[in-house]
Amino acid sequence: MTWISKSITALGGLLLAHACYSAQEHTALQSFRATTATLTSSTPTTASLPIDIVIETVFATFVVLLGLVLNTRPLRPIRWNVWAGKLEREGPEGFLDNEGEVNKDYVGNPYKILEMRPGFVDIRKQRKEFADWVKRGGKVDG
Amino acid sequence: MAPSLLHPPSQLSPGDALQLSQQAPSVLQNSASTTSSSPFNALLSNPETADQWVQHENLLLSCLRTGDEVAANRCLEKLLARFSEDNERVMALRGLVKEAEAQNNGELEKVLHEYDQILSNNNTNIPITKRRIALLRSMGRLSDAVSSLVQLLDFLPTDAEAWSELADLYLLQGMYQQAIYATEEVLVLAPNAWNVHARLGEILYMAATAPGAAGGSYQKYMTEAVKRFSRSIELCDDYLRGYYGLKLVTNKLLKNTGKASGKSDEGEFTLPDTKTTERLNQLATSKLSEIIRRSTARETGWRGYDELEVEAARKLLSEEASAASGIER
Repeated sequence: MTWISKSITALGGLLLAHACYSAQEHTALQSFRATTATLTSSTPTTASLPIDIVIETVFATFVVLLGLVLNTRPLRPIRWNVWAGKLEREGPEGFLDNEGEVNKDYVGNPYKILEMRPGFVDIRKQRKEFADWVKRGGKVDG
Repeated sequence: MAPSLLHPPSQLSPGDALQLSQQAPSVLQNSASTTSSSPFNALLSNPETADQWVQHENLLLSCLRTGDEVAANRCLEKLLARFSEDNERVMALRGLVKEAEAQNNGELEKVLHEYDQILSNNNTNIPITKRRIALLRSMGRLSDAVSSLVQLLDFLPTDAEAWSELADLYLLQGMYQQAIYATEEVLVLAPNAWNVHARLGEILYMAATAPGAAGGSYQKYMTEAVKRFSRSIELCDDYLRGYYGLKLVTNKLLKNTGKASGKSDEGEFTLPDTKTTERLNQLATSKLSEIIRRSTARETGWRGYDELEVEAARKLLSEEASAASGIER
């Protein structure tokens, strides 16, 4: 799905660039004509852009907008129970940012710290449990 | 998912902890060996990232857990070089390393004595106070740990972690009422914590089913337990622990409906009537089976559950199914 939205954004960008180039050429041509027609006149004539360049610019803006919006991930939940449920059910997979990597702010369940209590960690018990696990033949998977 | 060094490692399985501590050489190499204060060196060496020192601390904890003391000491040296010795958190980490390397009770007593000395200089050093309490607990001196923790909480009543540790200490000694009180204090400080509501439900269930619980308090505890598990489910959709607890409590209530004293004038402690209890039980059963089914099928959006928890839920449901089919035969 992202390649469609990326190509739409690129197409919009191209159209915008084309419209800007046309506008620039148009004003350059106009000022050239103006200077050759009235060599003595000192007042610059303000001409308006042709309508098709204006339409092309507006259309290109909307196409770029459409492409960018299509490229984003679904919005995150704002209701507490839905957010908490997503956290428990999906884990870090549910909190990817646009590039597909886990969001930098993701901390999992923020209240887990109340059950893990890192300020009171009983390091000797943890070491003993780890040593027992190794003795039982525990291995790293993968 | 590979374990990350950004989160505290206490909740990791041993295999994951080993994986993390094996990352020690690469992490230690990447950071500068000495943090120099000259601007020229600061330009050339890697700039500090916000997560760098959190990673060092978590790496230290992982290495101590897996017994890699050399790497742990190197982490500690880097932390000491960056943050001076007077930094309270670094002092606590240094004490932690000494505790881990202590070989016998004599050395532990020495570490305890050092903590006491630091606290006599500055008795508002919270990390060291917490480490001292943890050491007392580790040495088995639970009553000393409890009294020190109560002193800390007199002085700092808004520390939810300390209240939670107090509840755990009381639970170890079987003092259910005090444990319930302490967990309620945690909830005052963190009212939306769904896992703490589930924990309180579990403690209440333990208190209700403990041998020696009187009839009136059984009713009170069971009602409270139903309420707490329901609240945890309200706060978090599809919460496996909440539904598991709700199923256990409603099973017990439905089994004992005959034995309950049936007093209806207890106000907020009346048990829910049988119909409500049955509906709660059915809800819990259906939700648990849905979670088990989807989690074992590894559907997208259902892969975050812990496997051991899902296994326990499956055992609960299958025990009930076999009990029911045993009765029918």
